Amino acid sequence: MQRRDFLTLAGATLAAGFSSKASAQAQGWPERTVKVILPYAPGGATDAIGRPWADKLSQAFGQQFVIENRGGASGMIGVEAASKSAPDGYTLLLTPNAPLAVLPSLRKTPYDPIKSFDPVGRVGDVINGFVIHPSVGVKTFQEMVEYAKKNPGKLTFGSSGNGTSTHLRLEMLKYKTGIDILHIPYRGGADTLNDVLPGTVHMMNEPVSLPHAKAGKLILLNVNSQVRHPDFPDIPTLTELGITGADVPIWFSIFAPAGTPKDIIAKLNAKMQEIARTDDMKAKLIAVNAVAPLQSPENMAKHLLEDIKANAELINAASIKIE
Amino acid sequence: MRIRSGQDIATGLLFLAFGLAAYWIGADYPMGSPQRPGTGVLPRILAWCLMGTGAILCAKAFLADGTALTRWAWRPVIMTTLATIAFALTVDNLGLVVSMLLSMTLCALGTPETRWREYAIFCVLMVALGVGMFIWGLRMPIPVWPVSLPGALSWN
Amino acid sequence: MELGSLFSNLSLGFSVAVSLQNLFWCLMGAVIGTAVGVLPGVGPTATMALLLPATYFLPPEGALIMLAGIYYGAQYGGSTTAILVNLPGEASSVVTTLDGYQMARQGRAGPALAIAALGSFFAGCVATIAIVLAAPPLTRLAQQFAPADYFSLMVLGLVFAVVLARGSVIKAFGMIFLGMLLGLVGTDVNTGNTRFTFGISDLFDGIGFVPLVMGVFGIAEIMANLTNPQRRDLVDAKVSGLLPTKEDIMRSIAPVLRGTFLGGLLGILPGGGAVLASFSAYTVEKRLSKTPEKFGTGMIEGVAAPESANNAAAQTSFIPMLTLGIPSNAVMAMMIGGMMIHGIIPGPQVMEQKPGLFWGMIVSMWIGNLMLVVLNLPLIGIWVRMLLVPYRLLAVAILFFCCIGVYSLNNSANEVLIIALFGVIGYLLMKLECEPAPLLLGFLLGPMMEVYMRRAMLLSRGDPWVFLQRPLSLTFLAIAVVLLLFVILPNVRRARETAFQE
Repeated sequence: MQRRDFLTLAGATLAAGFSSKASAQAQGWPERTVKVILPYAPGGATDAIGRPWADKLSQAFGQQFVIENRGGASGMIGVEAASKSAPDGYTLLLTPNAPLAVLPSLRKTPYDPIKSFDPVGRVGDVINGFVIHPSVGVKTFQEMVEYAKKNPGKLTFGSSGNGTSTHLRLEMLKYKTGIDILHIPYRGGADTLNDVLPGTVHMMNEPVSLPHAKAGKLILLNVNSQVRHPDFPDIPTLTELGITGADVPIWFSIFAPAGTPKDIIAKLNAKMQEIARTDDMKAKLIAVNAVAPLQSPENMAKHLLEDIKANAELINAASIKIE
Repeated sequence: MRIRSGQDIATGLLFLAFGLAAYWIGADYPMGSPQRPGTGVLPRILAWCLMGTGAILCAKAFLADGTALTRWAWRPVIMTTLATIAFALTVDNLGLVVSMLLSMTLCALGTPETRWREYAIFCVLMVALGVGMFIWGLRMPIPVWPVSLPGALSWN
Repeated sequence: MELGSLFSNLSLGFSVAVSLQNLFWCLMGAVIGTAVGVLPGVGPTATMALLLPATYFLPPEGALIMLAGIYYGAQYGGSTTAILVNLPGEASSVVTTLDGYQMARQGRAGPALAIAALGSFFAGCVATIAIVLAAPPLTRLAQQFAPADYFSLMVLGLVFAVVLARGSVIKAFGMIFLGMLLGLVGTDVNTGNTRFTFGISDLFDGIGFVPLVMGVFGIAEIMANLTNPQRRDLVDAKVSGLLPTKEDIMRSIAPVLRGTFLGGLLGILPGGGAVLASFSAYTVEKRLSKTPEKFGTGMIEGVAAPESANNAAAQTSFIPMLTLGIPSNAVMAMMIGGMMIHGIIPGPQVMEQKPGLFWGMIVSMWIGNLMLVVLNLPLIGIWVRMLLVPYRLLAVAILFFCCIGVYSLNNSANEVLIIALFGVIGYLLMKLECEPAPLLLGFLLGPMMEVYMRRAMLLSRGDPWVFLQRPLSLTFLAIAVVLLLFVILPNVRRARETAFQE
């Protein structure tokens, strides 16, 4: 046999040997505790969605999925730590899309949202929308738009920070409807709620406001998603209101450091989809205003790319800068 | 003109230095507008305030009697600093036990009062206490032994 | 609310809280909280963060009751280290170090700890009653505060920090300004720009309070004490009596009452009032005292008032969380996290939908306070004995606990490096007789003040007069100016006299 052929054959055999080792790994995975990094401080929205998932995964696989909160710098610190972890399937990242789909377009991040991670599966999409304080006197989305057009710059909106998803939602609203609303940055949803409840600030767009909308203290105008919120069956989606492509979705998902064996990812994704189908999980998620879509890792990668692109365009169009 | 208070002049100069540094580093921060005060507004105000305070103290140093500077105790300062740094640098790689031993010993070296036999017993007790409390009790994700050894990460 | 429903609610609460299970969880929480809170640097926030996952396995009431127990326990524990070794466990214990540590050095650690525990218990009882009777109106009161009002309140707080200072007023001002600058390190919340971070991503969220305190108080103290026996040994070599004397108790009654009132009010402000509680109480006592110059040398009033204030504030800070779902601080945020884990969404409906949980929590708060007093008073003897350990060994232990405490917050060794840096800076400041307390207060209040100033200016569309137009804001600023004059004028007069003598 020619030497070149021999080498090719040897190489192929070796490769086959390695890959069977990899799938042998996936068969055994997980054999010990899996660390799930949450890039935010404990007690926040990410925790509310992440902890039920960690619990379910631990039950499903018989191994502990332990959450490690690594908060700071709008999620950058935790995401960076995850990106540098070993891609052996024993460290995962559970995060909203912002640190990966928004932040890199605003500042230089120590990770690449596409190259540093392999998508695994969707964990939950938040369903919430713009709420407004009753003192303004408007009750529906259209009334709000009319009011804003007649009184440019009078309405105020509190976001959870400059460059966060909620800020982008405001910019998208302004961009698509042509109205002018004053943006006031806060430090997270609870901070915003503090000034919105007494009416010091008029509007916000955060899941924490929903219990108050249910109680009648605030008025929910719309939902930023493709489906209506089951607790608010009368409130329309933005698309139904005629404003398409304006959702700026906030979605949570699990990523693995780039290079994690594909078999492990596939195994985890399959289990996640199975869990997402159960009624118990659906109920737990709705309680925190989330729905978990079923999606393969490949489609998730595409979704991420689209999201990054859409956010980058919006940031450009609205000249959102971190000055 | 005589310096009548070593302490006042030193403090005054320190404040001036910090104030100047703050001003210089923050010189490029955007100032914004009255409606949207920018990132640089408060740093600059504070820098001026600090420099002003420093200047007053320096003036006071020449005009009024005050305390003189006292000597620094170099040994504890250096050893304590080294001990802390040692802990920081070794806890992730060499594990809790090693970093505890290293930092505590460096600290003990900082005072001539240390009696080594007594210290050795105390050290063992502390390590046991530390590992017991933080690894076993609070389940902190800190490696106990140097990471190259297998099973380093968990104690259970 | 009428008495009838009050009783039925309370009895519902008692029936939930006094179940054997929940009592056990309360006790567990209190014990763990105290044990961990006593460790310098590991304050309530860190403790709760570490133990939050464990509570997942408990039933909802049990979990929340235990978390609340941990919170108080850690607060009590933080005061203990503040008094014994000059290491505040939390922002609220910083002020306790001023007189508490001095009392310990005079052999009076026992009375200091006892009065702290008793004052806190009293404040806790009163605050619990306040919550039961007046949670909704107190919440409405808190909602009257707009950003402009918070700004002026913070300014007042900074003036308090000047009043607190024992020594040179000028140096106190300098410390405040320096502290404020240190507080600004990190990301500017309003714009997302970073300040003074030199590109280090660990600094993006600013210098942590705990690393700063550990460095400036803890490490610097070790440096100063290690070769200086006169500085650290008890002034009275014998530890005199563990119990407070009759005189101690008589002197503490009024401060405890005042502190409770002040702290209780400030605690309901979700925007950060609780931080102000302890040092407002201290300042008030200093102003009211016939011997203000003795404050900072071991006055029992300087321990009684702040301790009552911060416990009252700790309790009333539950109010915005329970009634509106708004956390006033990181600890409350974690409680909300704990509730969400169990599928309870905090907010206005919790009172109606889960009355057992709501009232059960409130009653167990009181039970928790009781348990802590029962736990802590006997422990005082042990703590005081600990002080007799030779310093050459104690220092080593303190160093270790500082390091591990800081490391445990974020699993970050870099933060331990920060305490090394601030240790040196702290020692330098100590040598120059610059007090650390105003530095820390500036550090805490400065950034908050800036946030509120900018928010107020945004809302007023750039009109600075808003600070004088709102009645609350005007009141706070007026008090601040008056206090400032009280503090500065004597100094100016003295300076002119000295100048004239030349």
